[in-house]
Amino acid sequence: MATKFQRRNAMAQCAAAGLFWCSGAARAEDASSWREIETKYIFGFTTGSGIGLEGEKEFTVDSISRFGKRDGHYAASETKYEFEFTPSQLIQIEFGALGSTHHIAGVTDLDDRRQVAFSGAFAELRYLAIERTSNNPLAVTLAVEPTVRLIDETSGARVHNYELETIINADLELLKNRLFAGFNLLYEPEVTLTRMGDVQREAKFGGSAALSLRIASNVVVGGEIWYLRHYDSAALTAFTGDAVMVGPTLYIQFTPKMFMTAAWNTQVWGREIGNPVSLNLAEFQRNRAKLKFAWEF
Amino acid sequence: MSIMTRKLTLAALCAMAMLASPSQAQQAAEIQVTYSNGQFQPSEVRAPADKPITLRVRNADAKAMEFESKSLRVEKAVAANSEGVINVRALKPGRYEFYDDFNEKARGALVVQ
Repeated sequence: MATKFQRRNAMAQCAAAGLFWCSGAARAEDASSWREIETKYIFGFTTGSGIGLEGEKEFTVDSISRFGKRDGHYAASETKYEFEFTPSQLIQIEFGALGSTHHIAGVTDLDDRRQVAFSGAFAELRYLAIERTSNNPLAVTLAVEPTVRLIDETSGARVHNYELETIINADLELLKNRLFAGFNLLYEPEVTLTRMGDVQREAKFGGSAALSLRIASNVVVGGEIWYLRHYDSAALTAFTGDAVMVGPTLYIQFTPKMFMTAAWNTQVWGREIGNPVSLNLAEFQRNRAKLKFAWEF
Repeated sequence: MSIMTRKLTLAALCAMAMLASPSQAQQAAEIQVTYSNGQFQPSEVRAPADKPITLRVRNADAKAMEFESKSLRVEKAVAANSEGVINVRALKPGRYEFYDDFNEKARGALVVQ
């Protein structure tokens, strides 16, 4: 029977072979003949500046899974069933419903739980503040995303949670049609009302950097790094811990109107204030994965 | 809803409308492109910078085409033997590529100076 190490080694070899094959395909193609690419989804968890085309509509299923706490078994996911449209050449609007799953067993401070639930709704407004031209490689989009949840993201308990994600999405075209760098700056305050009547205020603050290489006209691979800080107040005054997550990203355009994006982040460094352990698994997870499919119409 | 809340809502809606629509105060520069035999003619057109543009795309072919541009951030399906009108915001100087989404080989560019 293959050991865990052998299985991982085989997977790494498969991934390397895939990348080698893709890079060979890239050399055979001429990037100057490629059409321009929408940058919004090519950086994994990091969001690019793209806002779509005026009049364009899109339906997406965007699932984020989180795995691993300090002990026991922890797996949770949140899926956005999302409708996006671009009413003008500078604004994009998105809204949709949230579904969540929780499989928790033997994790300290969390109740055991196995559930699937409708968990809330969200909306997002994106405004393109700086647009890329052939003379300016930088594009910047400002976004706000209010979200209402009926299920707590981490524990899966019934709550009323109100979150306001504000984010700056920037990207740079480093090599025409080929190499892109993405940057996000995030501030995400939220308030949670528990069934016991408690009110919890918290906030996340952080940023990311990503690099994505278009290895074929319809395939982009890359990597990203996130640094996130957690506070027990919306005003960023009660710091409780931080974490660094890194991982690979993949974007594939199947047809002109259909694409997918995937990403995997692993926590490589973290700290919990007042707890001398490595990693921050109280406020963040050991691993997270993103898988998104989109259909434009 | 209080008067103050109504005023704030109205102000927010006005601000969004201003952000959302390309400037209508200026006269738009009008540009004509013909799509024929699966190609744009001319394949390169020019327009002045910082001025809204009205792009008229006449499809002379017997099948539909979709005018699309990521950098102009517009798309418009144009039926066979008909014309599509696309309003573009005022643009900064640069080269903006466009293509027919149904035909990989049909390419063109708008050069803004």
